[in-house]
Amino acid sequence: MTTATSPDALLEVDGLSVRYEPKRNPSLTAVSDVSFSIRPGEFVGLIGESGSGKTTLGTALLRLLDRPARISEGSVRLDGTDITALSEDELRPLRWRDVSTVFQSSMNALNPVIRVEAQFRDVIEEHSGLRGDAVTERVRELFDMVMIDHRFIRAFPHELSGGMKQRVNLALALALEPKVVLLDEPTTGLDVVVQHSILENIRRLQREKGFAVLFISHDIGTVLDLSDRILVMYAGRIVEENDAASLLRDPMHPYTKGLLGSYSDPRAETVRITYVPGRLPDLTKDVTGCPFVARCPERISLCESVTPAFAPLAGGDVACHVARVQRGGEVDGLAAADVGEPTRRFAGPEFVKTAAESTEALTRPALLSVDSVGKTYERRRGLKVERTVAVDDVSFELRRGEVTALVGQSGSGKTTLARLITGVDKPSTGRIVFHGPDGEQEVAGFRGRALRGYRKHVQMVFQDPYSSLNPAKRIGQALERPLVNHHGLSGRALRDRVRELLETVALTPTERFVDRYPHELSGGQRQRVVIARALAAEPEIVIADEPISSLDVSIRAEILELLGSLVREHDMGILYITHDLLSARMLSDEVLVLNDGRVVERGPTLDVIRSPRDEYTRRLLDAVPNPFG
Amino acid sequence: MTTTPVTDPQGVGEPQLAPEETVEVRRPDPWYRVVWSSSKARVGLVIVAVYVLVAIFAPLIAPHDPTNSDFVPLAGPSAENWLGTTTNGQDIASQLIHGTRISLLVGLFGGLLATAIALVIGMVSGYAEGTLLDDALTFLTNVALVIPVLPLIITLVAYSDTRGVPLIVAVIAITSWAGAARAKRAQIITLRNRDFVTASKFAGDRTLRIVFAEIMPNMTSLVAAGFVGAATGAIGAEAGLAILGLGDSGSVSWGTMLYQANAQGAIAQGLWIWVFVPGLVLGILITAMTFVNFGVDLLSNPHLRED
Amino acid sequence: MRYFARKVAFFLATLWAVVTLNFLIPRLQPGDPAEIMVKRLAGKDSQLDPAQVQAMRAMLGTPDGSLWSQYTGYLGELAHGNFGLSYTYYPFPVTEVIGQAIWWTVVLVVVTQVLSFAVGTVLGAYAAWRRNTRFDSVVTLGSTFLGTLQPFWIALLLIYLLGYTLGWFPTSGGYEAATPGFNGPFIQEAVSHSFLPALALLVVTPIGWVLGMRNTMIMNLGEDYIRLARAKGLPDRRIALGYAARNALLPSVTGFALALGGVLGGAILVETAFDYPGLGRLMGEAVENKDYPLLQTLMLLTTAGVLLANLVADLMYGVLDPRARRAQS
Repeated sequence: MTTATSPDALLEVDGLSVRYEPKRNPSLTAVSDVSFSIRPGEFVGLIGESGSGKTTLGTALLRLLDRPARISEGSVRLDGTDITALSEDELRPLRWRDVSTVFQSSMNALNPVIRVEAQFRDVIEEHSGLRGDAVTERVRELFDMVMIDHRFIRAFPHELSGGMKQRVNLALALALEPKVVLLDEPTTGLDVVVQHSILENIRRLQREKGFAVLFISHDIGTVLDLSDRILVMYAGRIVEENDAASLLRDPMHPYTKGLLGSYSDPRAETVRITYVPGRLPDLTKDVTGCPFVARCPERISLCESVTPAFAPLAGGDVACHVARVQRGGEVDGLAAADVGEPTRRFAGPEFVKTAAESTEALTRPALLSVDSVGKTYERRRGLKVERTVAVDDVSFELRRGEVTALVGQSGSGKTTLARLITGVDKPSTGRIVFHGPDGEQEVAGFRGRALRGYRKHVQMVFQDPYSSLNPAKRIGQALERPLVNHHGLSGRALRDRVRELLETVALTPTERFVDRYPHELSGGQRQRVVIARALAAEPEIVIADEPISSLDVSIRAEILELLGSLVREHDMGILYITHDLLSARMLSDEVLVLNDGRVVERGPTLDVIRSPRDEYTRRLLDAVPNPFG
Repeated sequence: MTTTPVTDPQGVGEPQLAPEETVEVRRPDPWYRVVWSSSKARVGLVIVAVYVLVAIFAPLIAPHDPTNSDFVPLAGPSAENWLGTTTNGQDIASQLIHGTRISLLVGLFGGLLATAIALVIGMVSGYAEGTLLDDALTFLTNVALVIPVLPLIITLVAYSDTRGVPLIVAVIAITSWAGAARAKRAQIITLRNRDFVTASKFAGDRTLRIVFAEIMPNMTSLVAAGFVGAATGAIGAEAGLAILGLGDSGSVSWGTMLYQANAQGAIAQGLWIWVFVPGLVLGILITAMTFVNFGVDLLSNPHLRED
Repeated sequence: MRYFARKVAFFLATLWAVVTLNFLIPRLQPGDPAEIMVKRLAGKDSQLDPAQVQAMRAMLGTPDGSLWSQYTGYLGELAHGNFGLSYTYYPFPVTEVIGQAIWWTVVLVVVTQVLSFAVGTVLGAYAAWRRNTRFDSVVTLGSTFLGTLQPFWIALLLIYLLGYTLGWFPTSGGYEAATPGFNGPFIQEAVSHSFLPALALLVVTPIGWVLGMRNTMIMNLGEDYIRLARAKGLPDRRIALGYAARNALLPSVTGFALALGGVLGGAILVETAFDYPGLGRLMGEAVENKDYPLLQTLMLLTTAGVLLANLVADLMYGVLDPRARRAQS
């Protein structure tokens, strides 16, 4: 598809395709036939889940693709010049002066052994006439723009914090006042509050300086907050394009609806969030029909056979048969009667939380009492002893059939509390008491066999499903260990129980998962395996440490729903550790907000979210992207 | 992508979703396939295989007994003595073929022993990271790493009157494990902090099982690289010892051949084959093993892979 | 500062460990090496200096006295520089014998080490930058093959080809008729005698640098900061030298000292082949004659030399890489 050439376009992408052709693995088309344009000063969001090809597209626009990837078709025009046709030498003067970038994992984007100033100086001197003190002066200006103290100009990269590095990268991207800045998930891995302030900084600078931005992200909430116009990418294709307001008001593609459905207003009495189950199609095989068909709740039989064209509709562009017919467009062999009315909601699975459930849960008996617990870490450095207070005077109760959320940024003491509760560390002050089947027991007293016995009752779900499953073991083997150790199962009983567990977490048909290795599963599927493994011990308590933060926003609700159902059906207590108040609202009945190891606010989740009393809670709430607010 | 029949073709009401997908993802290639993918490693493996066959069937291939000194001394190449004879009237070709056995034996056992020492010290020290035990073992490793190997081996062997292959293997192994131990310690530290190790603790597994059944399977490539490296080093060290007259006095190796050739003034007498051939076969074997390690390096440094 | 203090502390601790190892090795042997040496020396000359006999007993072990008193005695003799008498060069003390040989080896090893480092890193860096080209494969394959050859064997081949057959260079010893010292004829002779030994070492030593440099540089070329440098539109030369090669060179600095141990091993073999009057030949002779005092001292000396080089390299690394100073302190 070719969109009409807009005369005022700054960056114009036309029919761009990128192929990966590795020598020994099957080749695939990571970006296929993508066309769009960006006008001067425009803020464009590009959104898609991991694997959708958005980063490959960004890399192609910068002409930084390495073998085995290459631009196979199409053109990228910058101010009318097709940069795909330029030689490396012809392209070099345009780099950074016209297009600059902040990389996705830009923690390593600064050369670790060179001072920050020199990394500004080399690019400024390469592309401009500035020399000597004039360059230093320019670097000072840039540091002011991103609000970093001038003393860090002479620092080495490792002396900067993560947030500062990212601001430095942003300043570096603006060094030559480029026309377009490409931002590829520029705040991934940073704390929510820091993320929020960097993004605001970006938006403010963009308005002041008037450069155009292509902002790549998997998080539609952030993208909607910032962008003028939005491109939705799926399986290497742009499936919908519209200005931000229209996209929010009337999303046309079911995938867009699915992405939007992952957000909701946490203050509402009843919160619903939807998720898009399944995973991207295998791009090494030819896709017939619509690439989204297997995950689409609105699909019709035509979607199986005919690939929908990406064409203008109702003020935007979309590639969907159903949306087209619903809005009065024409599709061969399809009448308006064949499809229903347009909806704004994603008609897929949904996770609902009402206020009433929580009120009931908070009256149950306690499973675990945390009583004025504090933890001070001591580190010996030579003769000096450094003391760090990680947790200070924290008290709460975890009840059967209830979820308590611990909310805070990294360094707030959440993870330390998890370590204390699971018996990995002992508290310095206070007590943690487990009200288990054997009466009241103090957790700090467990050692060896008793500790293993206690862990039968207390299990963990980890943040990163990629590192919490052993890459060398099959799914079945991972699930067997707790069954053998904690329940002494073997033979047929063991195999049956493994299958039951997989069914519990909805990984069916189970025989397709038992013998898989973790890397063959999607992030969401892996996290369900991790949950199944925690369930295998039949615990009373599950501690879920940021279980969704490394997953795409569009599938987070899937894991939340599963955790929610465990509480209801298995009558266990969950301690949910997170930095995200929206997910805390979805899952938990009670919330504790932690800051610097202290509880700054505590109460029933809905009360805390509707009327936060603490300044820090309010900042966390502000950081939740809310396209609907 | 599976295409499931759509039962509710026009439906917008109840979602009809395809069953849970598992995409046929290609597994990351198993280590042996990655190694074999390197053309250098393939050449190396084939050459090493040839040497192994020669060593196993040496008595069948060699035309004569290598210690038999009944031939005419200083003879040139002939049908009887393919590569001529030594000053003592021994057949050079037969010595060369039998010499393969010593080099491969020292390589195999020296490599295995050094790898075993490195594995135990590296694993224990890595798993106990931050403790006093780790500090002690790390210090030991660093000391062993900076002590120059050949002078130490020479000193140790020089004191001993009987110099059999076992002594040589043992001395080589206890002087050359340090580099591999350090690499293993570093890797076990990164693996140990992965969540799956914590998960195993929660699954009720004991420490030994965690180390050997959960962590070890993820270290195959490093252990393989360590073994090939140690075996290569051991073969070279044995040759060096034998050249200085510290070899196994009872048997023939390429190193002792070079020692004899030099001691008997082979060069001055123009017997260049006697000098040339043992060094060449030794060089080819060590080159082949280094080639094998090119393939093994692909495992730990994916950037080196060719696509 | 903490980084540097740590490195000096490690140097001292390692030195102590090596000195102690040197003390233990002869004592772990069956029999009494000290007694054997004294008897053999007495066979040469019955008028043995009792002080020297005591030094040898302290160095190599006496059956009487507790291990601790032996150890303090040993350290005492070390502190006074008494290492015993050489059996091979009787009646000279070991220190004197070594003092004459050491400069030959130091010059030989330092020159070849520096040259091979320079040649190896340049070739390795260029091979990584021109990765998968013909140049790359010639350099990697060539240096691999040469590096795996036995230095002693190379030495014999060079003697045969450039010495006997072509007669270009002397093949044995360190000098001919000139008086050792700082004079023209001697230096000329010494250089021509050192040429083949140095060449033999140079053939085998660059391999470590070539491959090490190539591999780290290829790894570095995949890093984000290299991609960013490309996005910045910096010239290739600048990226290759200022970013990739500079960073890849850092690990080679610490490798420098470790490689020195390997070169010393090669030097022992090469010196033996050329009958070159350095420490390596001395070690060969000590082995042949079971000259334990000489052997022990050589072992101690070479190890201490490598340790010292290692310390210097570590300190340099601390200056060159800002991360090292913090990460390990």
